[in-house]
Amino acid sequence: MGVFNRNVTGHVSVPIAVTLERGALIFFAETIGETNPVHFDILSARAAGYPDILAPPTYAAVVGSQADHAARRQGHGLTSTLDLINADYRHVLHGMESYDYHSSFFAGDQVTVTTEIKGFSDVKGGKLEIAHISQKIKHPERGLLVEISRDIIHQLDRSALP
Amino acid sequence: MSCTPQTAMVGDELPHLSFGPITRSTLALYAGASGDHNPIHIDSDYATKIGLDDVIVHGMLSMAQFGRLVSNWAGTANLINLSSRFTAMTPVGATLTCQGTITERFTKDAALLLRVRLSASIEDGTETLKGSALIRVP
Repeated sequence: MGVFNRNVTGHVSVPIAVTLERGALIFFAETIGETNPVHFDILSARAAGYPDILAPPTYAAVVGSQADHAARRQGHGLTSTLDLINADYRHVLHGMESYDYHSSFFAGDQVTVTTEIKGFSDVKGGKLEIAHISQKIKHPERGLLVEISRDIIHQLDRSALP
Repeated sequence: MSCTPQTAMVGDELPHLSFGPITRSTLALYAGASGDHNPIHIDSDYATKIGLDDVIVHGMLSMAQFGRLVSNWAGTANLINLSSRFTAMTPVGATLTCQGTITERFTKDAALLLRVRLSASIEDGTETLKGSALIRVP
């Protein structure tokens, strides 16, 4: 048997508010080695016609993570996704990550994030169990910006590593 | 002879992208920048305690290189989907090489689309990420 808490299948979080901070976006872009200045220089971003610093594509994961951190800080029965599914941090691996983009997102955007536990599956004869998680990032005017799909793998037997 | 989204045909390759060597400093900065504070990426004492040789690179730092590769080639606004599977651990100190190959060029709902197969590998040839991107040709 796995160790994920499968009773949370179908759980949808309340919308968590996140503001995309310009400084945090610039720090991220520089850390990943971004060379396109629209991702770290406000004048270049505006010259290219953007309202503010343009988020790199995988910054969606950071917005989702910020919602998780915010949920844990706020309390009121809210918790991070990994705690909700009872992940054992010593044995979790990131299996898959996918983004469906509907609109670009920028510094200054005030968005909401909802997280859904889509379900769980077992592979390799039960040596690995997988949690399937989805996050939707929405903007009040521009609607759904990004939908994230993520597989978190729980490695019950280290010899079963992919 | 590098192709553009307008000229790209099946089999064409995007310009390669190299990232690294990925040092402990890079991992510490990425932990702060991404909010992923899992000690498996930044605390070598923790990594060895759970049976690894050393800290490993955040999968999402590698996937960020896929993001750079396709968004700087096609424009961020033209990216419809970006996906990745994490197929092997990337050790600290590794240098990643990311490649993209056009696998489909097709029309859907009057839009011209490209599907790109993405791959990241490290010096010993191990493929650490397998991915794909769907791009709208402007």
